[in-house]
Amino acid sequence: MDEELTTDILMLEQLSLTQHLQPERRGRLGIGYGTATAHHGEIFQGVVEGAGGRLHRSLVSLPCHIFRSQAIFFPAQNCKVTVEPAWKVKSCRAAQLALARHNLDKWGGQLQVSSNIPLRWGLGSSTSDVTATILAVGDAFGRKFNEKEIASLAVKAEIASDSLMFGQRTVLFAHREGLVLEDLGDTIPELEILGFNTDLTGIGIDTMSFRPARYSWWEVEAFKPLLGLLRRAIRTQDPYLIGQVASASASINQKYLPKPRFDCLKAIVERVGAIGLQVAHSGTTVGLLFDPNDARTQGGVQRAQAMIAEMGFSQSCHFYTGHEGG
Amino acid sequence: MKAVKQNLYPSVVEAIMLPRVIRLSGNLYGAAFVLMKLLPASFILDRARYAKLVRPGSVVIETTSGTFGLALAMICNLRGYRLILVSDPAIDSPLQRRLEDLSARVEIVRSPSPEGGFQRARLERMSELQAEYPDHFWPAQYDNPHNPGAYAMLTALLTETIGQIDCVVGPVGSGGSMCGTTDYLRLLLPKLKAVGVDTHGSVLFGQPDGKRLLRGLGNSLMPKNVKHSSFDEIHWVSAAEGFAATRVLHREHSLFMGPTSGAAYLVSKWWAEKNPDATVVVLLPDEGYRYQDTVYDDEWLHDNNLLLESLPTEPRPVEHPLSAGPEWSCINWNRREYEQVVGSLFRGQAIHK
Repeated sequence: MDEELTTDILMLEQLSLTQHLQPERRGRLGIGYGTATAHHGEIFQGVVEGAGGRLHRSLVSLPCHIFRSQAIFFPAQNCKVTVEPAWKVKSCRAAQLALARHNLDKWGGQLQVSSNIPLRWGLGSSTSDVTATILAVGDAFGRKFNEKEIASLAVKAEIASDSLMFGQRTVLFAHREGLVLEDLGDTIPELEILGFNTDLTGIGIDTMSFRPARYSWWEVEAFKPLLGLLRRAIRTQDPYLIGQVASASASINQKYLPKPRFDCLKAIVERVGAIGLQVAHSGTTVGLLFDPNDARTQGGVQRAQAMIAEMGFSQSCHFYTGHEGG
Repeated sequence: MKAVKQNLYPSVVEAIMLPRVIRLSGNLYGAAFVLMKLLPASFILDRARYAKLVRPGSVVIETTSGTFGLALAMICNLRGYRLILVSDPAIDSPLQRRLEDLSARVEIVRSPSPEGGFQRARLERMSELQAEYPDHFWPAQYDNPHNPGAYAMLTALLTETIGQIDCVVGPVGSGGSMCGTTDYLRLLLPKLKAVGVDTHGSVLFGQPDGKRLLRGLGNSLMPKNVKHSSFDEIHWVSAAEGFAATRVLHREHSLFMGPTSGAAYLVSKWWAEKNPDATVVVLLPDEGYRYQDTVYDDEWLHDNNLLLESLPTEPRPVEHPLSAGPEWSCINWNRREYEQVVGSLFRGQAIHK
């Protein structure tokens, strides 16, 4: 992995954790805590040319602070890692990998993971679990994982990851390699998001079984202007340009993981004065993006809620990005 | 942003293939290329290399008397491909010498074909050469989808430097730059206006084929890469107007560009003034050096009856392409197909027989 790309990236989640480590606990063994937010799908997902012309599957996640995972780790010597609930095997694997990374192979312990993130909607529930777990293991031993290590462990634990371990920095992240391709340099601008699940079957998408898109040469090229506009959107903190990037990314990817009634959803964007349509590229979640600083947004959100309900989709969340919490 | 962006390029092609983006007025930006055709030439040859259609020593055959040939020659020379270019007597000797210095073989067709003129005669000679070299690669800029496909890099530069763009203005010859740029940008900016600049006597947008003095845009044949439904507006600019506008661009902005740039600048300046709230980008495809003894020489302009006293301030709007001319005219094309505007299917010649 490229050291330079990641060295100056803030890890806010980790900073806050370090702050509530009590001085007397530093360097000592204790119960470890970790927490990580979910995402609401992606602003961008596609194939991007890296150094040397190699193509990387990559994405920019849209953070969603209202959904979180929490992990508590009770370390114990000479035993295995067990997890509660037992089906969170990726978290269990992540804890084992995190221990191995710090040469703590003799250690195991009990891991408890809880989360309010809906499953199989493409909100990154397992990545949040895994990130929270890695932070909890580190916390238990008073050791820090940097975001680069977390990204690499997360990809090892679950094949594909998201970029949320990079906190408030927006990064273009090769989610199957755990590699930062580009630090876009700032947060995603202030957005108001009305999110909903387009899955009417209740089954959702299994991220692990979803076959990655096989983009045409034209689509591979078409991601270039998207990335150009994304860089500008982040640099100038322009929510409208973010909306255009998100809509274009959703359109290109529509044929690989179709969202039901996509044209209808695009029409709603126009009708309610939203600034873009944003999707989970490996899930069933869709978000309408609004400019929170536009006086017409409140009315637009209300009209959009009614239209979404009419289409039979259930609203899952209403949240903000661009500033702490939200 | 870094104060100085220092890049080391593998060759001159990568160093100059993208334009400089220059603010020409409050809402008008020029994309000033050294040689725009380097973009499609390198993309087409890259794709051909990935598909194992060319390798060092391969024969590449194309018909051109213009800048696409120069771009091909630069790249083929660097990559060790043997380039044969079929041209006609209209090729200027400095260009021919430059092509030959880049180790291209330049074949000049001496007499025009009865139907389709020199352009057809060149295609016929090319067919003979293609039979002679069965393993050749033909870039086919008029029909190859990798020509319009090459312009993603340009649109990445434009979106990153300008952001929101409402209108793109540019000359149309093969259709590659305007249709490619428009297709990529409209993914992000569906309302983007595309304004094509043609010249009288070009068949591209419904005029009858005729003698054209403004070269580098327009066509006597219909390329597949001209996607008519891309365009919102079409302008026909005469040679005298295009040349005068080239000089205005030079005098007002110190931008030393070729005549297709001048014609596009004339249209874009008018469009940007008429739509002060829109952000307009104009494509300026090549530099002025090849035209120093013509467009940039008042005596030559005068002797050829091409010296204009003053430029028109606006185009004459027409309802049908046949009403366009002899001076600057325009039509609301409204993203229609050729036959929807002209009233009949194109009856001239496509590139393929």
